[in-house]
Amino acid sequence: MNSHPNSPRHPWARLTAAARTVHDDRETSAPYAFSTRVVALALGRETKMVSLFDVFALRALGVACLLAIFSVVVNFGELSRRLSGPPQGPALVEDVLPPVQDAAAVVLALSD
Amino acid sequence: MPDETDPPFDLAGCLARVRQKDQQAARQLVDHLYPLVIRIVRSHLPRRVAEEDLSQEVFLKMFSRLAQYQGAVPFPHWVSRIAVTTCIDHLRAQKRRPEFRWADLSENEAEVLDAVMTNENDVPANDAMAAHELVHKLLGQLKPDDQLVIRLLDLEQKSIAEIAQITGWNQSLIKVRAFRARRKLQKLFQELRRKERS
Repeated sequence: MNSHPNSPRHPWARLTAAARTVHDDRETSAPYAFSTRVVALALGRETKMVSLFDVFALRALGVACLLAIFSVVVNFGELSRRLSGPPQGPALVEDVLPPVQDAAAVVLALSD
Repeated sequence: MPDETDPPFDLAGCLARVRQKDQQAARQLVDHLYPLVIRIVRSHLPRRVAEEDLSQEVFLKMFSRLAQYQGAVPFPHWVSRIAVTTCIDHLRAQKRRPEFRWADLSENEAEVLDAVMTNENDVPANDAMAAHELVHKLLGQLKPDDQLVIRLLDLEQKSIAEIAQITGWNQSLIKVRAFRARRKLQKLFQELRRKERS
């Protein structure tokens, strides 16, 4: 026996040569209603995915609206104060805004 | 079967309509590609999987990935690749391959195998079907990827470049897989001969 499967006299090569002569006579056209079923399934999946996205998008919109309303309620006093009268000098601004500290300076001071 | 008087299928136009969710165009596309897909599925069909189920899975993947198709390769090649990878995924999922045993062969298959291992003659034409079955049983002993390469090389007589196009693997990888598969087949034949003697 020839020892390499690449060789034409190897049993494998002779078996495949014989196997190639067998022709597959089975029908190759699509079975009845196959395409209708596949298309219905494929488009059904897409619709399902889109509706899922819709649900998430609506939820996100609802949460965003609630957050907006909450932030207006929390800051209503401040907003109304600012809108009611003109600013009255730098002292008022300092009252409104928290004092800003240099973070690096704070760290250095603590390390000392 | 398409009539000879039918105009050639307008694949590009059909694809454009499918992208616009035209159901009739989608059905035409499935009907047009079915022969290509079923041939691939039949030649790489795993055990206990119905060919219609597998081809349906291929088409569903095709539709779900259609937006990713950029036209870099012809559309039938792209679909072939989906079909091949789907079959390989199923073959991998089978995990354990049954051991190849003389006892599992039919009388005719055992005679053909015995003949090719003991003489240098070609397989007679009337034993071609038995040889065909034997080849598929022997291929079943290989890893799914190796099986695919050998099937395409030795049964469908594709070139390395064609296999690269069908599978998307690079040519060196295909050569390595072919080498590994042939070595495994060689071992298998040696083992069968030993078992036969014993």
